[in-house]
Amino acid sequence: MRALIAAATGLALAFALVLALTELGTPTGETSPKPLLTTVPPHP
Amino acid sequence: MHRRAGLILLALAVFFAALSPLTRWYAFPRLAKIPADQYQDMVLVAKDATLLDYGTMTERKVPQVTIVQTLKGNVEASERIEKTAGRDVVVWDGLSYVQGPDGEMVSKIPERYIFDAHTQEPVHARGEMVDGDPVRREGLEFKWPFLTEPRDYEYFDAQARVTAPIHYKGTQDFRGVEVYYFEQTIPWTEVPFPRIMPVEGITRETVAKTGTTRWYTTVRKFWVEPVTGAPVYGEEIHKEELRGGTLLGDRKKVTAFAGHVKMREDYIEHTVDLVTSQRVVVLLMTSYLPWGFLGLGLLLLALALSIEARGRRAGGSGVEEPVTSEPVTA
Repeated sequence: MRALIAAATGLALAFALVLALTELGTPTGETSPKPLLTTVPPHP
Repeated sequence: MHRRAGLILLALAVFFAALSPLTRWYAFPRLAKIPADQYQDMVLVAKDATLLDYGTMTERKVPQVTIVQTLKGNVEASERIEKTAGRDVVVWDGLSYVQGPDGEMVSKIPERYIFDAHTQEPVHARGEMVDGDPVRREGLEFKWPFLTEPRDYEYFDAQARVTAPIHYKGTQDFRGVEVYYFEQTIPWTEVPFPRIMPVEGITRETVAKTGTTRWYTTVRKFWVEPVTGAPVYGEEIHKEELRGGTLLGDRKKVTAFAGHVKMREDYIEHTVDLVTSQRVVVLLMTSYLPWGFLGLGLLLLALALSIEARGRRAGGSGVEEPVTSEPVTA
């Protein structure tokens, strides 16, 4: 019974971690102030 | 004590074993996405190209035509569209600026491309356009999806405003990177004149009145790194003609542009380096971490079982003691 509880705890923690990480997602950032180019850049 | 350690190890084993598929099949599709604020530029060149001189309406050979392509993520527009689309959206405002050998503008075509940040499927919303003309894209443009498959895809051609198959033609090695080679041929198709023409006073509308039409054909080639879905190299064998109408006098057609367009060398090196580093990030979530977690989970499970077995062996004689010393009450 205790083994079952330990396994269930591990499983629940894995789900909680992954759900929390995906819920957080990644920051969207801001639109770059750089213009759309009408000159040839010298390098990337 | 052994028993407690065994249970903790078992919990950890299940934790890591469960993380393995969760990382690959749950977290990866949700976390891997094109950032909404991406900004990138690209320079392509066509050496020994043919270009139309709009002053004399004759074609001429030029040493080089340069195409500067910029893509800029519009975060405000993507957030606005996400509210109704209900998914992560990227809005790329792009500009293809073509420059002649003397630095003069040949054409300038803006674009707005809206797509799903995770799958790269087009998302249809107000503002989707090519050169100011509303379009409804199907298929890919600029980038393939993460974990690209070796098969044909549909690719949107911005000049002709049509979607056509782009064929998988094999796996190749491009500067040490394994890539899928794709090729698309757009047959001669009538296409609209650009809204901004290289000669002042000439507009799309004034040209239309002359009866002259613009035709285009291209063979588009992409070398795509399959893990990231990012093209590391691209080429285009591009031809444009003006046909008929009073603008050409007694000529039936004249070449407006013909050239073999290739990425500039420094941009190839930059792109290969960038894609190689991004590839590691994607592989971390699709391969390294899932397999690592699975291995760690199995290792911890083996350790938990061995501790449990040792504990049982050590406590084997001690288990019977309380039974024999227990008073009989029956």
